[in-house]
Amino acid sequence: MKVVGNSRLTGIADLERMRQEILSRYTPSARSVHICMGPGCAAKGSHKLYELFCEAVSQAGANVQVQAKPVGCHGLCGCGPIVLIQPGDIFYQRVEEPDVAEIFRETVLAGRLIERLLYENPATGEKVDTADKIPFYKVQQRVALALNGLIDPTDIEDYIKSGGYSALGKVLNGMTPEQIIADVECSGLRGRGGGGFPTARKWRSCREAKGSPKYVICNGDEGDPGAFMDRAIMEGNPHSVIEGMVIGAYAIGSQQGYIYVRNEYPLSVERLKWAIEQAKELGLLGQNILGSSFSFDIRINRGGGAFVCGESTALMASLEGRPGEPRAKYIHTVESGFRGKPTNLNNVETWANVPHIINQGPKWLAGIGTGKSKGTKVFSLVGNVVNTGLVEVPMGISLRQIIDEIGGGIRDGKRFKAVQTGGPSGGCMPAEHLDARVDFDELTKLGSMMGSGGMIVMDEDTCMVKVARYFTEFLQKESCGKCTPCREGLAQMLYILDRISRGEGEVGDVEELGTLAELLEGTALCALGKTAANPVLSTLRYFRDEYDAHILDRRCPAKECRGLFRYEIDADACKACGICLKNCPAEAITGEKKVPHVINQEKCTLCGTCWEKCPFTAVKKV
Amino acid sequence: MPTVTIDGHKVKVKKDATILDAAKKAGIWIPTLCYHPAVSGDASCRLCMVELDRGDWRQLVTACNYPVRKDITVYASSERAQQARRGVMELLLARAPDSEELKALAERMGVKETPYPNVTESLRNCILCGLCVQVCEQLIGQSAIGFAGRGVDRAVAAPFRQPSEDCIGCGVCAAICPVGTIKVRIHQDQQEVEISPFKSRAKLLVCKECGAPVITEQVSKKVLDKITINSEEFRQRLSLCPKCRMLQTAVELSMTSKIKKQGIQPKSSPKKDSTASRVS
Repeated sequence: MKVVGNSRLTGIADLERMRQEILSRYTPSARSVHICMGPGCAAKGSHKLYELFCEAVSQAGANVQVQAKPVGCHGLCGCGPIVLIQPGDIFYQRVEEPDVAEIFRETVLAGRLIERLLYENPATGEKVDTADKIPFYKVQQRVALALNGLIDPTDIEDYIKSGGYSALGKVLNGMTPEQIIADVECSGLRGRGGGGFPTARKWRSCREAKGSPKYVICNGDEGDPGAFMDRAIMEGNPHSVIEGMVIGAYAIGSQQGYIYVRNEYPLSVERLKWAIEQAKELGLLGQNILGSSFSFDIRINRGGGAFVCGESTALMASLEGRPGEPRAKYIHTVESGFRGKPTNLNNVETWANVPHIINQGPKWLAGIGTGKSKGTKVFSLVGNVVNTGLVEVPMGISLRQIIDEIGGGIRDGKRFKAVQTGGPSGGCMPAEHLDARVDFDELTKLGSMMGSGGMIVMDEDTCMVKVARYFTEFLQKESCGKCTPCREGLAQMLYILDRISRGEGEVGDVEELGTLAELLEGTALCALGKTAANPVLSTLRYFRDEYDAHILDRRCPAKECRGLFRYEIDADACKACGICLKNCPAEAITGEKKVPHVINQEKCTLCGTCWEKCPFTAVKKV
Repeated sequence: MPTVTIDGHKVKVKKDATILDAAKKAGIWIPTLCYHPAVSGDASCRLCMVELDRGDWRQLVTACNYPVRKDITVYASSERAQQARRGVMELLLARAPDSEELKALAERMGVKETPYPNVTESLRNCILCGLCVQVCEQLIGQSAIGFAGRGVDRAVAAPFRQPSEDCIGCGVCAAICPVGTIKVRIHQDQQEVEISPFKSRAKLLVCKECGAPVITEQVSKKVLDKITINSEEFRQRLSLCPKCRMLQTAVELSMTSKIKKQGIQPKSSPKKDSTASRVS
């Protein structure tokens, strides 16, 4: 981690001078190794790779100018750890510790490619050397993630070099708060946290609200299972969030901001802490920002791990030190929020978009996207696709493009069944809606939602009743329990789904689920409760036949629900090796040498061991 | 003053009054459980759902806390509103099947039974409305009880589910509980009061005259701290049970009238007189 050691910047000219000074130290042909430290790559050991590269750099001698640089998430997490070599943008994937010496010797010093570490296009089998040739990146359009993977998130100089804080300079150098809000309005930016509320309208209401002080909050309590969009931004480019917040605070008239980060993201907290310290040191945050009369400070608060604290009123309650429970929003938080004062809360991704709007003009963002959904959206693409990871796409792109072109289609040649967007309270959409455009209104119309950007792709082997059950269980566990419909209604729904997936469903269960879902939607206190029935409603809408198969035929079509299918040995495929027989814990398999084995269905406990162990895939689910 | 049109009746209410206030003024009954005028309210039970006209659509809102800021149209008896209220009541009945109070309210709403099984555990039919927690915090100022756990594990409890030292045994939580979960138990032998199910206990003051339990020591202290009447007589009376206090007043009154009749000025204070008369 670097300490800046620069003196305070007292104006926009000072900031520009600093940028020129940094650029003069930088030569485009300089050699550097960018090691991805995003959550996916870090989990696969990229920290060790970074250390090894640092070691290699220090041993290379004084005449070799190389820099090892930790960077934020590149996005293609399924192929991590990712290492990028400059100059040339050479993209290496699945790098392991023993590869470090070879990369350094061959590529960094000698400029030769290492074939085996290059990305192979699964469709053509062709090896590609740079990221822009990989289909995964081709369709994407990166705004919030633009600098991820390029800059060192622990070094403010890197951010300033890439034009960072110039939007803040522009704002403080002659833009009125009303002009900023007008620009944001013109850009059409809507909240990226899930609700999709027009950002400018929120800012204006907060600016015009009576009461002082006013607060600005960044919601970094990303709790959806499998989602890491905000995390990647906070860890990969923390200054973009801070710059956005300072601009927002200036427009709204606030002097104090908070970033609420979940405690499970210690690295995000650390990165943001460093970024805040560095920004303060340079006078980009704190008293008299860039020599102006405007002062604004940011504090970080760590959440305790409750999903519901991502809801704005619950988050504010938690920030005040009270239990994180939502309250009625008949009086909006922009009027009476944190400590009863006007409070403007936006999501990490929304804040990260703000500097781009100021820098590139509102029309630029408005030029991307569809009628009422402008700009781009980051998704964490997970599930049964070939390329899992973080993607940023223009609004209006079709689901099919995301799944097939960016995601590389379904893994293992299986067929697509459903895609779930919007986190746990989103909905599952079937193949017939794959050409739907990804925007706020279209997804809502289809019974799902944009949400904060989770996207789970499911193949033909996924049981939709089980999916609905999984999300209902998650939401039931994460419900705060304050209001009756969410607490009791979800428990009742889970009880019914449990019975159905055990094969004990009854005629009328589906109708009862529908009644409960409608009740929840109409009467629950907060958005979490109101949308909690979405997984059930959407699977009922598109996959009703699967519910019927479970209830009427006592059969799970996807063969996932234990007890609703059985294991049988295909006599033609069985080589009578005896592995299943030896491993069966229930002694349910009989057979002799050269005679195909048979499962005694009465003894079978459906544990699936034989199915896992059979080397000839002779054990079938029927 | 904004006008609320509720089921066709027009009523004027103060700005920021609730739909429930308007309904009361219009003489329309809306069932409530977690609402009480003495506390700020949480709108957590969701029983008071009504439909609010939003122009091209109607939104279900809780009547007890929706603030009226402009002229609005509300449908309290529409089919959708009633269905929502009945649905919430059915869920509550499934949770607390044995509460007589809840059953009576359900019947008044036209809900005879619940279609749902009992899947969530409730402590003695507690429906987690939160009135007890609010009254202890907002009116008594003790916060001796609060919510513990999350989701279906949520429960009203004293910290760490242990008897609370902050509980002064006032029993207001029991008085406000709409489903009869909280009870005040008097342990005569130990001269203690217990707030059940929280197991918190407090020492009782007994009447100096008849020995009957009056209030707890802490409640007496809290009351005396609050009032500014610096009268020893008042303090003395506080240590009597209501019955003896009334008796004492009656005796005093009869004494005064007797004295007045005889035209003699009392020599000593009435308190001494009355004590003497009761002893004799």
